[in-house]
Amino acid sequence: MKLFIFAIGGTGSRVLKSMIMLCAAGVRPVDSSGRPLQDLEIVPIIIDPHKSNADLKRTERLLSAYGTIREKLYGKNANAEGFFATKISTLKEVVSSSQVPLDDSFIFNLAAVENYKFRDFISYNTMNEPNQALTSLLFADYQLENKMSIGFVGSPNIGSVALNGVKDSNEFKAFANVFADGDRIFFISSIFGGTGAAGFPIIVKNIRQAKNIDAKNKAFLQRAPIGGLTVLPYFSLMESDDKNDKRIDNADFVVKTQSALEYYNNTLTGNGRNAVNAIFYLGDHGHNAPYAYDPGDKRDQHDPAHLIEMVGAMAPFKFLSLADSELTDLATGDPLPTKAFEYGLEHDTDFVDFSGFGQETRQLIYRPLVKLHLLYIFLRTGLNNIIGQGFTEDSPKITREFLGTQFYRVLTQQFFDSYIEWMTELLHNRRHVNLFNEGEMDMTKAIHKVLTKKSIFGSKKVDNDVFKAEMNKLSRDNNKYGSNPELKLMDLFYTAAEKIITDRYDNIN
Amino acid sequence: MRDKLIFLVLGAVISVLFWIFRVELYEALYSVNGFSDQMYNTGAYGTVAAVTVAMSWGMAAIYYYVINSVKFDRWYHWLAMLGVTAVLTPVVCFIVVSNLLEGFDYGTAVFTFQIYNILFTALTFVIASFSIRWWSSNCRHTPIPQ
Repeated sequence: MKLFIFAIGGTGSRVLKSMIMLCAAGVRPVDSSGRPLQDLEIVPIIIDPHKSNADLKRTERLLSAYGTIREKLYGKNANAEGFFATKISTLKEVVSSSQVPLDDSFIFNLAAVENYKFRDFISYNTMNEPNQALTSLLFADYQLENKMSIGFVGSPNIGSVALNGVKDSNEFKAFANVFADGDRIFFISSIFGGTGAAGFPIIVKNIRQAKNIDAKNKAFLQRAPIGGLTVLPYFSLMESDDKNDKRIDNADFVVKTQSALEYYNNTLTGNGRNAVNAIFYLGDHGHNAPYAYDPGDKRDQHDPAHLIEMVGAMAPFKFLSLADSELTDLATGDPLPTKAFEYGLEHDTDFVDFSGFGQETRQLIYRPLVKLHLLYIFLRTGLNNIIGQGFTEDSPKITREFLGTQFYRVLTQQFFDSYIEWMTELLHNRRHVNLFNEGEMDMTKAIHKVLTKKSIFGSKKVDNDVFKAEMNKLSRDNNKYGSNPELKLMDLFYTAAEKIITDRYDNIN
Repeated sequence: MRDKLIFLVLGAVISVLFWIFRVELYEALYSVNGFSDQMYNTGAYGTVAAVTVAMSWGMAAIYYYVINSVKFDRWYHWLAMLGVTAVLTPVVCFIVVSNLLEGFDYGTAVFTFQIYNILFTALTFVIASFSIRWWSSNCRHTPIPQ
């Protein structure tokens, strides 16, 4: 089964980044009976004409690192358990024999859009006078002058025109051809900006009306189970230094959201055949820190990670856990009336730690994230001193050369640097997400507000030696790693962490 | 698993052979008229060999299965354990032999004999280590990797 995720606009990229972190931690979608989904492959497709968007670039780099690490661990195998278990592929990777040229990238090629000013894109200058007048009524001057290489700067009316051509792109055709029975589609977008607010309904429309496109699986596509995460305002913007620059205005966020919700209500949700099967609404008003004003051409949209994005990243997992019978009329194949989901924290607090989430969330993310964080500490402080001892000497050996491999460098530098950056941003943004104590490399004290269990000598200790001993035990007479030391390291740690978390930390679930 | 059992059986066989050929081995190393005869006649060689083998295997077992700690899994920890065994065993043997040869004036010879016994103790400790280390969770690669 494949899940195609269309991550649209800046919010799409940022939510996707959080989702990659969760996947790296080993969070796995489960079916309606709680079993991990088998043969799942996630295919993210990032749609954003603003290619220099820093959030998009960070997500792309993270996806690339994830792919490198996962391939080394599990090869092409879709079924795995542990860190980086979920297979994430580019569209090109899942298209077996493409008749159309595709970039091996997670980013949708929007060359037809991004190279133009909006005025040129709609051929404003060649319009006759009445059409120019009408266009000027619909679009402000700054919108007509907008260079679309920086996105649609909060203007969904630009996006709805510019993205209408997506259906004619090679990427969309390839997607339509590779989509098969049993696959699902998920959209991630914000509703208060430009790209996401416009892109979501347009692409859904193109999917639901797939009979008009040349694709062999269009019948499946038309009836595809579609879910969408619609992110309502969750941050505000500082005012521009240039008082005349009002391209994006906080005051518009709520109005835009209301308008878009009204539009979605009429076209995207409900019980029509063109409606999506599930929609997840997520927003946070009043608990946010304003971001620097940036329509896209000031600082390339380098926005910090946010709780909403992290929570939003769980929406695709929830969507996958819904049975077909909950989404589709199995007799006719038509979508059932849209299921709508909202999210609430356990406690309405400005500082969110693990106990701030509801039980379902804690059960989904607590153990995987703790394991990933402990792995981070172990790799930064422990492994180097352990090489040549214990489990590292079991076959396949983890030698000092291992520390220079591409796998290890990508994991410890590219990936974990991004992980710590993500965690730090989550902590310093509002609401503050305080899952792990910042800078704390003592495993016993690393999890915020989670203590280790009591023992007769005080509190139980968790350190590299505890992990080493547990991994030594697990590694003895263990032949399942063949000649893959990368898998050995990660799997041993994952399994050891499972036991250590149970045995040594207080249970917060 | 099979290889490990072979090491265990081999170690056990060598230790038994050591006990069987104890007189020849000990006398090849240290033989003094009178003292050696008394050692033979009182069966002290058998006792010393048995104590040496038992203590070497016992100390190795303590290292690999009781201590068995990631904090003591380096070669120098093992070497320290060998050192302790190589001192402790001859001390015990000295006391045992002194008791067996009570009434004879062989104090210096018993002492010298135990100095030589350090060699056998060390050897049997090495043999015991390589026989049983494989099943230790934390020290199976000590003193050298498998």
